[in-house]
Amino acid sequence: MKQLTIRSMALVLGLLALAGCAGSVGAQQTAPPPEFKKVSTLVPLADYIPGLGTLFVDPKTLPAGPFLAYNKQGKLVSSVYMIPIKDIDAHKKFEDLGVAKGMVPQRVELYFNAGHPGVPEPHYHVILWYVGEDEEPK
Amino acid sequence: MSEEPSRLARRGFLQAGGLLLAGLACPCPSRAAGVVEIRMRSDPQGATVWFDPIGLWIAPGQSVRWVVEANVHTTTAYHPKNADHSLRIPEGAAPWDSGYLVQPGAHFEAMLTVEGVYDFYCMPHEAAGMVGRIVVGHPAGPGTLPFDYFKGRPGTENWQPVPEMAQKAFPSIAAIMAQKVVRCG
Repeated sequence: MKQLTIRSMALVLGLLALAGCAGSVGAQQTAPPPEFKKVSTLVPLADYIPGLGTLFVDPKTLPAGPFLAYNKQGKLVSSVYMIPIKDIDAHKKFEDLGVAKGMVPQRVELYFNAGHPGVPEPHYHVILWYVGEDEEPK
Repeated sequence: MSEEPSRLARRGFLQAGGLLLAGLACPCPSRAAGVVEIRMRSDPQGATVWFDPIGLWIAPGQSVRWVVEANVHTTTAYHPKNADHSLRIPEGAAPWDSGYLVQPGAHFEAMLTVEGVYDFYCMPHEAAGMVGRIVVGHPAGPGTLPFDYFKGRPGTENWQPVPEMAQKAFPSIAAIMAQKVVRCG
């Protein structure tokens, strides 16, 4: 478990480094790029997920993402990456993951998820938050 | 939205204890209600997911209703018709698959008439160990056998093994028969 945490931290650092670069996603702060689809139209998930918001993803990037999360006011609040545990265990390399262009993360959250439609296996959510905790989708 | 696992465990222990005492007086399956309910639960982050109860002993002909409390779930019988899963319900019983139940309160019901052991899982959470077991009447059938019982049998080449986490999560048949209702924790 400790080993997993260290690996996950390394993963986050890598993603943060990516976030500082000019990316290919070209996300806008109030609307996702056209290649991004609402996740609830791709898999059976609720439109709005408490704690995350409304998610959009370019289907070509599944399962890792990035998923762009918008709050109820339509503001981009985070980018989410979903990394299967089995890929971490297999030392899989993730490269060229997209970023939300021009967005600066204020903090990073990383937590375990048991699975859900779209990523039906244990994985980690790696969240780059662009808003303070008080603006997180409830 | 969801109860703390420790609180749930405490309540489950008390309920299981009460049912165990009741079981001493009547060593027979639960007939408290026509329909027995299983909640499909989750903590807020989706890190811990479980069927509540995870084990049940019921009478033939009773119905079971699975109800979503939080997160997205399915109730799906271990049966080759369900994505080549191994057969772990009685041979003569009809398999079920609820499909994804997305909203809290969404539910699925099945009447179990054939005696034996019925193992089931949640599609997106099977690998994380979200499974359950129902004994209908007397325990019998493939659900009583080891998880790899089918290895080497003709016609089972495509059957998927039960994931390790799921194997560990199943309550024993003996515990179900003793307690009638088995909860996580």
